[in-house]
Amino acid sequence: MSTMTETRTVPTRSSAGSRGVTFTGVLRSEWIKLWSLLSTRILLLLTLLAIVGVGALAVLIRYTYLDEMIRRARDQGQTMTPDMLEKSFPPGSGFDLYNLPNAGLQIGILILGSLAVLFMSSEYATGMIRSTMNAVPRRTPAFVAKAIILAVISYVITTIAGVVTFLIAMPVFQGMGFDLDWSTDGVLYSIFTGGLYVAGVALIGLSMGTLLRNSAGGITVLVALFFVLSIAASFMTLIPGEFWKYVPQYIPSEAGGRFLSIGHTDGIIDPWHGGLIFLGYVLLFLIPAMIVLKKRDV
Amino acid sequence: MIEAKGLTKVYGGKTAVAGVSFTVKPGLVTGFLGPNGAGKSTTMRMIMGLDRPTSGSVTVNGLPYAQHKAPLHEVGALLDAKAVHTSRSAYNHLLAMAATHGIPKARVREVIEMTGLEAVARKKAGGFSLGMGQRLGIAAALLGDPQTLILDEPVNGLDPEGVLWVRNLVRYLANQGKTIFLSSHLMSEMAQTADHLIVIGRGRIIADAPVKEIIAGTRQAKTLVRTGAALELSALLAGDGVTVDQSEPETLEVTGMDSRQIARIALDNRVLLYELTPQLSSLEDAYFDLTKDEVEYHSHLTSGPAVSAPAAAGK
Repeated sequence: MSTMTETRTVPTRSSAGSRGVTFTGVLRSEWIKLWSLLSTRILLLLTLLAIVGVGALAVLIRYTYLDEMIRRARDQGQTMTPDMLEKSFPPGSGFDLYNLPNAGLQIGILILGSLAVLFMSSEYATGMIRSTMNAVPRRTPAFVAKAIILAVISYVITTIAGVVTFLIAMPVFQGMGFDLDWSTDGVLYSIFTGGLYVAGVALIGLSMGTLLRNSAGGITVLVALFFVLSIAASFMTLIPGEFWKYVPQYIPSEAGGRFLSIGHTDGIIDPWHGGLIFLGYVLLFLIPAMIVLKKRDV
Repeated sequence: MIEAKGLTKVYGGKTAVAGVSFTVKPGLVTGFLGPNGAGKSTTMRMIMGLDRPTSGSVTVNGLPYAQHKAPLHEVGALLDAKAVHTSRSAYNHLLAMAATHGIPKARVREVIEMTGLEAVARKKAGGFSLGMGQRLGIAAALLGDPQTLILDEPVNGLDPEGVLWVRNLVRYLANQGKTIFLSSHLMSEMAQTADHLIVIGRGRIIADAPVKEIIAGTRQAKTLVRTGAALELSALLAGDGVTVDQSEPETLEVTGMDSRQIARIALDNRVLLYELTPQLSSLEDAYFDLTKDEVEYHSHLTSGPAVSAPAAAGK
């Protein structure tokens, strides 16, 4: 390459002065790393669209179902008001309307969780990790900065997507006669907690990427934890005996999911219990990941 | 200033570095020489805190690397030209590294200019040639204008112009009083660049001395003699401590006697010499002498008659 020959033999005066490593600096560095990859920017935009898209689809399905029920009742000469219909479903059955903002949450968990795994594992895959550890040899600040950036991004995207999904859902159900708006019990709560849940999943993803140092492995374990395990748990309830009926609610996805709902149901952990259990899972992965990162050769 | 004390690294039962101690002084270019697998890279990785020593310790400018408040200003290192995310541009890579220390963007542009990367700075680093990757690694090492520079095989993959540039750069920085520690497998490169050599083999320090001393101290100088009466002269020269090898019909290589003595014997015996050339021992010879027992992976080449020279250039 001909341009390569234009090197200077003597370095010019340096202007490299700085205060040294600061946490704000590390945070900015990690942000540049994330944002300077075109693939990340595209992925984040698509994630937003995917959550809203899946959410809108879920809105359509519920609308069609409820509409069908009302029509059928009318055909049989009964009156079925939306209010009566709402009361016919037990709480937590998945037909609550207040949790519509989180209708597309699962796709967000999948994509943002995988992105979080990649944020660390790609550094190991490319060798970038050694440059990172050169610049931040104490290591922990780099991990914490990554964790903060992922948590904030996940929270912001999930929240925006939740608000947009609800903006789509609200007029649809209001048109049917349901009493549903921003002040409906649980709406704002589920938007708030949905973001926290996905941020938590992202932190678990980052920990997986750090512990396993491998993109495919990290994403596989994450999917196993949040999708395969919940399927396995639903089979668990089929095992005879009372005990097994109570076990599934303690797995990460169920505990986290419970955190997003409101109200007390006998035999099921309360939402804030679910939140605490989920937080426990986050720390269960986050703390070993930080210790391992600090100790391990890179 | 780099100070290693009893530095040891064991990987799963295999000792990569076995208790090495050395000091790399400021104002000099110190070469780190050794065969493949000798422990050069492992030692450098321990200096940079990437690998944790099994035992022993190493400090840079008085502190372990990780304990410096502004590590990039203390030490710049090129350990692995591939320590870059392949989808990120060279500019953004340097910018992200600079951001950790709050190093201004102007400095990022400066090191890009210094390393001749202007034309490719906005391109993905994954598409870089070995030489360009090496330049990017050097740019990253220079980012903090560090007091100490550690370069692992810096000229690897560079074109001749690039090799010359690195040589001038390290010379210039050493003259400014900075500490330069560079490894290379190119012994000729070391002969031209380094002032001081640390030779390592199988994880142990074999020699730690100025380059001149190592060249002078290892192998006895040879003298090339060409004559029509090779056999006759060979018989005349033979004696205690003198080795005569005949490589071609009219060519002798004499060890253990200098050219003046050879000329005297030839004159006394009326043997006509048409060439008499003292062969300066090269760093390459010295290096092979030092490391011939320490090479981890022998290439199984048949070598000439074994010359046993004492590894004199010890500490």
